Amino acid sequence: MQEHKKKQVLLVGNPNVGKSTVFNALCNKKQKTGNYAGVTVASHSGNYTYKNEEVEVIDLPGSYSVYPSSEDEAIFSKFLIDEQKNYEGVIYILEALSLKRGLLLFQQIQDLGIPMILVVNQIDQAARRGISIDIQKFSDALGIKIIQTNAKEQIGIEEIKEAVLKDGFKKADKISFETPNEHKDFIQKIAAHKGLDNEYKAWMSLSLGSELGRIESIKDLLNQPDSKSLVPKRLQVQETVRRYQSVDKILANVISKKAQFKELLTEKLDKVLVHKFWGYVVFLLILLIIFQSVFFLAEYPMNWIEDSFSWLAAFTGKHLPEGPVNSLVSSGIIPGIGGIVVFAPQIGILLYFLYLLEDSGYMARVVFLMDRLLRPFGLNGKSIVPLVSGTACAIPAVISTRNIENVKERLLTILVTPFMTCSARLPVYSIIIGLIISDGSFLGIKYKALVLMGMYLLGFLVALFSAAVLKRFIKNKEKTYLVMDLPTYKKPLFGYDLKMVLGKVWDFITGAGKIIFIVSIIVWFLSYFGPKQNPNQLVATNVELDHSYLAKMGKGIEPLIEPLGYDWKMGVGILTSFVAREVFVGTMSTLYSLDDDAPEVKVIDKMRRDVKPDGEKVFSFATGISVLLFYAFAMQCVSTLAVVYRETKSWKWTGFQVVMMTGLAYFVSLIAYQILK
Amino acid sequence: MKQIDLHKLSGFPKNKMGKILGYDNDYLKMPNKIIEMGLLPETIFRILYQAPFNGPMYVEFGEEKSRIALREEEGEYIIVEELN
Repeated sequence: MQEHKKKQVLLVGNPNVGKSTVFNALCNKKQKTGNYAGVTVASHSGNYTYKNEEVEVIDLPGSYSVYPSSEDEAIFSKFLIDEQKNYEGVIYILEALSLKRGLLLFQQIQDLGIPMILVVNQIDQAARRGISIDIQKFSDALGIKIIQTNAKEQIGIEEIKEAVLKDGFKKADKISFETPNEHKDFIQKIAAHKGLDNEYKAWMSLSLGSELGRIESIKDLLNQPDSKSLVPKRLQVQETVRRYQSVDKILANVISKKAQFKELLTEKLDKVLVHKFWGYVVFLLILLIIFQSVFFLAEYPMNWIEDSFSWLAAFTGKHLPEGPVNSLVSSGIIPGIGGIVVFAPQIGILLYFLYLLEDSGYMARVVFLMDRLLRPFGLNGKSIVPLVSGTACAIPAVISTRNIENVKERLLTILVTPFMTCSARLPVYSIIIGLIISDGSFLGIKYKALVLMGMYLLGFLVALFSAAVLKRFIKNKEKTYLVMDLPTYKKPLFGYDLKMVLGKVWDFITGAGKIIFIVSIIVWFLSYFGPKQNPNQLVATNVELDHSYLAKMGKGIEPLIEPLGYDWKMGVGILTSFVAREVFVGTMSTLYSLDDDAPEVKVIDKMRRDVKPDGEKVFSFATGISVLLFYAFAMQCVSTLAVVYRETKSWKWTGFQVVMMTGLAYFVSLIAYQILK
Repeated sequence: MKQIDLHKLSGFPKNKMGKILGYDNDYLKMPNKIIEMGLLPETIFRILYQAPFNGPMYVEFGEEKSRIALREEEGEYIIVEELN
């Protein structure tokens, strides 16, 4: 592939203007899934080919201004400014319903001398509200051609592609922002000093303050008397107010509005959805529906998957030559991977709901409802999104904290989100709950389901509680605030979201599958070989499990884990699951399939029958509870750690998180076991 | 009883039309987002809802009827008057 020939274009706009819809319409066929949950937070890219030209579209996080106030906006501004040499131009999306707000950022980018194509999306929506836009006048006033789209109906998409092909990106003829007179001399001095072709660039380098790094070379200039009044924040405010004044003038000539009496959908829905009482009832109901579906709807596909893997295990067991490889494949690797794939439907359903909620505009309402309730814990209303996503997977959840402006609140959210019960804990919980909780029911709800619900609740409460404790130790004087757009409700992109979810689920399966595959083989090797039993051997092969290297390792850590009620096999399971929690299941399958003379018995039954030398059950009630608590609290996920480090850029906090979570896990499991045994 | 200050956005009665006059002297401490989102002087607004326990306010404003959530603390910066 000739990479350099690919044209790179940026998709830019305010949050919630339908950027994802346009992105999806443009790159419908060739979609790279490199993004994470939280539609608005991470940037992602896709490709399309139009008339033999290959184009890469980069969807940047939405922003209101080039001056960032949160991490995702900083990512946006940095990319926009630093990567200018690499991209062809910006496709700017304006939403017909909020032209005013959108024009602020549009004119800033225009003034930076970046070539643009302007797209006005959802004109039909505006018409429905009695707003008509004179596109010709609008285009003249802005000095740029306007492409009208209705991305949902694929209208106008072809035109965008055509414009990209024909290099329709256009630079502004003049700068729309006039430097205020009192600063003019100084700004011109800077522009000359730095060799900038444009006054606005000089103005911006001053107004940015420290946020994107004020340019070193103007430091000496800043000490001069005429720079005294240059408080970056004041400049930003001045700029924004002036720009809005000029935008108002433009729009006054372009928009005409009819009186409109019809109540709009958003207004109707919000009467209930943000209601002091009903708002919370609806939110709880939605959560309930999600979890109901996760556990009951998923049951059918889960059964099919389970059956297929059992069949595959039996098939390979029968047809592979007798011996150690046979047992490795048929009772180690296949059940291990099956143990993970079986959770794919649950993860998929959960993610799908979260995508739809975010997509529809409902999540912003949840932030509105939860803000006051989360504040006593040192969190922001926006923390609810990572916390809820954390029930699927902590990785996208940690990334979705980027729109929390306050550094302390963001750090706290990152630190406590991994306490939420993520889907990787499900396989472990299911096995252990299956082993120690009886089949009875209470008020029609099975004990097992109750315990599982309890585990979810526990994760949430511990997340809140630890945030409340940690907030005392994190110093930050920065003000906390909540200023958030409440978008109009939109019909979610069911198909697009489904595609994203399937991509995620596939990533999960292949990612976890690879790890389990490797860990299973390592575990098998370590259990097949053992320390030499006579002087002539280098190592002993085909040893009894109890004499293997694995047993030696497990027994090595036994003093540490015995007080928690674990035997050496569980110790190995816990050690291996520091890579990822779900590996526990694979390791257990491998270990138990190696250590038995009755291969036809299911692994879970072997685990149930396993006894300690003193005749006590290995998986007693006390041990089971202790394992559950350990997995609820311990930081056992290398991928999450990597993301936490990337997002905090701090080894201190990443290390702290491991020690805090794992320490808490050890402590709580210890107490639980010692009380219950 | 808490004295309701009609001249600030926080404490402004619900469902009444108001107009933003300007910002508090302390405006440099005010989050930039407030202005960037379009809560500018001369803007007509209405507080539609507020979350319980003095939670965030749900404000509808401007020609385009944008909606924004902000806390009472942020509302303290914004000076308003009631329209009749």
